[in-house]
Amino acid sequence: MTNPVLDAIRTRRMTRAMTDQPVERATLEAVLEAARWAPNAGNRRLHRFVAVQDPLTLRLLRVVSPGMFQRPVAVVVVCIDWDRATSFGMRPGVRGPYIDVGTAAQTMLLAAHSLGLGSGVVTSFSQAAVAEALNLPEHLSPELMVCLGYAAPRQPAPMRARNPITWQTLTDWERFPSAKRP
Amino acid sequence: MTTTMVLTEGEALELLAFLVTAARTQLDEAAEYGPLRLLTAATRLADAIGPRVSPETRALLAGPLRQIPETAVRTSDPTGYAAKLDGVCRAIAQHLVAHLGVPSP
Repeated sequence: MTNPVLDAIRTRRMTRAMTDQPVERATLEAVLEAARWAPNAGNRRLHRFVAVQDPLTLRLLRVVSPGMFQRPVAVVVVCIDWDRATSFGMRPGVRGPYIDVGTAAQTMLLAAHSLGLGSGVVTSFSQAAVAEALNLPEHLSPELMVCLGYAAPRQPAPMRARNPITWQTLTDWERFPSAKRP
Repeated sequence: MTTTMVLTEGEALELLAFLVTAARTQLDEAAEYGPLRLLTAATRLADAIGPRVSPETRALLAGPLRQIPETAVRTSDPTGYAAKLDGVCRAIAQHLVAHLGVPSP
């Protein structure tokens, strides 16, 4: 089965090498607008997105982000607004806001792909250092970065899975026959 | 052994930041990322010093050190991964023997 959405999902790849060609502001804004439409629990909007294009700030983000292989020309830092989460009665560390970080990120990745951009997710970074680098207020915690740029012709090899993956290997139907709970 | 300075203060600071932040992120990451981060640091160090080192060292940085793909981890081929790391370690040791002028036994 195929259609443009499924094709986009199947053909998106993690881009770990990017050219230094700038991303146009309107393109970056289109990616951010897509994030606004991402699934979001209770429409509570507990996130803030910090868009970075300044080369020096990007360089700083990269040196405190061991997982950032690429040299992006733009980064969107997805933050959780814990003041806002608390205002909805959420306790610190509850899982809902983190799940919505993922939906926002995936939506941005697909939007970027549809616009001809390469993208990559980075979660391996020092939250303390990134908060300092971006001068984030205390109630915003940086959770994930979406790196954006144009894909370089030559990419590092993708990370290999331990075993071949299909949707069937990831899926069970209905109830587990022999599962026992304590 | 020569005493040529091969890192600028800025380059050294960037590497230091990478290493310290990698120590922190490793607390929350899969253990197999440990070697990956160290190799990334080594690669970044090699990139920084490459233009200023001796031709022999440059050959080491451009050759054996690049034998392991930058996204490789132990999971998919534990034995092969260890063997590749052993190969890089061996090449570095051989280079050091020559670079330091260690006398033959």
